[in-house]
Amino acid sequence: MFVQIKNLQYQYKNAAEPVLKDFSLTIEQGEIITILGESGSGKSTILRLLSGLETPKSGSITINNDVIFGGNHVMPPEKRGVGMVFQDYALFPHMTVEKNIKYGLKKMSRREKQQRMEEMLELINMTSYKNRYPYELSGGQQQRVALARALAPAPSLLIFDEPFSNLDANLQIKIRDELRGILKKTGITSIFVTHDQADAKAIADRVVFIEKGVIKQVGKPEEVLGCASLVMWANS
Amino acid sequence: MRLVVRTIKSKLNIWAILSLIFIAIILIPNGLIAVNVFTESNENWQHIKEYLLKEYITNTVILLSFTALFSMMIGVSLAWFVTMFEFPFKRFFKWALILPLAIPPYIGAYAYHGLINYTGIIQSTLRNNFDVTVNQDYFSIMNNQGAIFIFSIFLFPYVYTITKAFLQNQSSSIIENARLLGSSSFETFFRVILPISRAAIVGSVTLVVLEVLNDYGVANYFGIQTFSTAIFRTWYGMKDLDSALKLAGALMFLVIFILLLEKFSRGRRRYSFSTTKVKPIQPKKLRGVKAWLLAGYCFLIFGVAFLIPFTQLLYWAFLTFESVYSSEFIQLIYQSVFIASIASILIVIIALIIGNYTRLHKSLLTSFISRVTTLGYSIPGAAIAISIITIFVALDGYLADLYQTLQMEPVIILRTSLVMLVSAYIIRFLAIGYNAIDAGYEKMGNTYTEASRTLGFSTVKTFFKVDLPMMKPAIFGGFILVFIDVLKELPLTLFLQPFNFATLATQAYKYANDERVHEAALASILIIIVSGIFIFVSHKLLEKEPA
Repeated sequence: MFVQIKNLQYQYKNAAEPVLKDFSLTIEQGEIITILGESGSGKSTILRLLSGLETPKSGSITINNDVIFGGNHVMPPEKRGVGMVFQDYALFPHMTVEKNIKYGLKKMSRREKQQRMEEMLELINMTSYKNRYPYELSGGQQQRVALARALAPAPSLLIFDEPFSNLDANLQIKIRDELRGILKKTGITSIFVTHDQADAKAIADRVVFIEKGVIKQVGKPEEVLGCASLVMWANS
Repeated sequence: MRLVVRTIKSKLNIWAILSLIFIAIILIPNGLIAVNVFTESNENWQHIKEYLLKEYITNTVILLSFTALFSMMIGVSLAWFVTMFEFPFKRFFKWALILPLAIPPYIGAYAYHGLINYTGIIQSTLRNNFDVTVNQDYFSIMNNQGAIFIFSIFLFPYVYTITKAFLQNQSSSIIENARLLGSSSFETFFRVILPISRAAIVGSVTLVVLEVLNDYGVANYFGIQTFSTAIFRTWYGMKDLDSALKLAGALMFLVIFILLLEKFSRGRRRYSFSTTKVKPIQPKKLRGVKAWLLAGYCFLIFGVAFLIPFTQLLYWAFLTFESVYSSEFIQLIYQSVFIASIASILIVIIALIIGNYTRLHKSLLTSFISRVTTLGYSIPGAAIAISIITIFVALDGYLADLYQTLQMEPVIILRTSLVMLVSAYIIRFLAIGYNAIDAGYEKMGNTYTEASRTLGFSTVKTFFKVDLPMMKPAIFGGFILVFIDVLKELPLTLFLQPFNFATLATQAYKYANDERVHEAALASILIIIVSGIFIFVSHKLLEKEPA
């Protein structure tokens, strides 16, 4: 198993109930997982625990046989090799596209950095944009740059927090398919968090449906979505 | 147990350690004052307690309550007029009415004294042109009433700006409803405006009160016995540090009482403005006499609180320019800018570190830390000065022992160095820098930092590569705010500056106290112009930014 999440528990300060109760999941290498749930279901919390931005109360996380969380051991986010694409992209506004993509490239010579950056730009089809600043890009372009920036250091796991929520509906469909193409081409293991069933269906190999911090169902998109839509419809 | 070890390990980072050190530096002087309240007292203190304390308290309370009342009346009425009505020259008055804040009360005090004393322009005009000699009793402002006048006209902008900002963020529907229900403008003011802006008014009046408590210059110049002047006289005149500390303790109780009073009278309301995008209040267009009455009122306040003292000082500055302007004066400017820059830079750095720690680790400890950081501004300069000097005398004692054991020449005597003054500035003005920096962090949010961390950078590296460049505007803003305040500062500088060191503020004050009011004008005018420009610029920036 490439990613192994065992019995994760998490509770926000001042909250009456834990947002995550006994969350366990295993992920194969190269798999694309979608975590589907309504707001407040705890789905974004899983991403923050995986990336190390929050620390779970108990449980363990292993990626590629490295224990990144467990017992006394808490690996800080910068050492985990988990890339993240944020909901609002979080591109550094004071850096050009080129600088943003090169940001995470550390132990490399200048030539290698340049090469990797150009590779990434080609992958997202934006070679002519490298000297632009983030505010000079459209929402879709910003998102592609955010993807390139997260992919550049070759993380072992890539996670996306509601990546399509800031895009127009028609752009959303185009980007979704494009994104799946890019991910499959690089063969990277990735996790998406979304509340949109259409997104889940279009992009995932496997869907994890969670409600109130507990996994309700896991399986192929077509197996899970029927049940999920019924639940979400009932709650709406 | 495992959890505890893990918690400590995850919490103990460079940001936490540095923040705790800075907090300790702020808390130690205050702790010292608190502890000293309970130590055994000497004869002096008995004397002070029996014969003098009552006068200090009475005077201080009179000054505080009347200044609070008058600055509230002026500030709230102006805020109401400017928000609710359209009248001639309103656009000008909107920012011009903040300008009195550029004149520190002690400068205003001697400007007005010079204006209306026997040789001043008013009396000499009356005497020479109209042959009228007036009763000097009516033309003296060196008393409680005079001080209340000075404080009220130069401090009301706190109430004006905060109340105005609050009212401008209120929905027009509240006022329109009141009007539709048949209330006149006047009734609306008392039944709607005043109650809804209570928190803003109370908060801003508290700022005024704290400024009055901090004052040393006006009270000393006018010969009024307040806590601040008493503290300094007990220490300088009687050389009794212990009793001075006890007075500072009593003063601190007053401050705590005022802060509690604010909390109570503010009720459950916060002074956060309603953030929903509602239709702002539409000012009512006034015509004829009413419109000109309002314009006249605004002009009267502006004239008394800025134009008259400013013109008078400008005139004196021209009169004495030749005699005052010298290489020493340039040295004075240089020293003022130097000390203000050093203090501002240090404060901004400390604020950046504490701010970064409190935003990245939200907990009870961090909210306590940010409370303490803003505490210093409520502590009057006299109290800070006295506790700082006590600590530095003790530190010098330890250092002297150390030099002796190491058998070396004393490298530095802290008491006579700028270190002491700068530490005092940090304690008093950290709150101002911190508020600016904290607002900057708030605006930036945490995602950029988080993005950088998932890309493989520690919090320290992220701070330099991402946070710092993005915080430039907040850093600049915080620096300027602190710089202006240090430039104007009087009591701390007056009592903690080393020999052969003076600033524009202390020099102006010394001239005025030597009855050389005219010579004080040039330094004063420089302070006012620098602060005035800043007020103008920041007002323009605030105007541009959508609310």
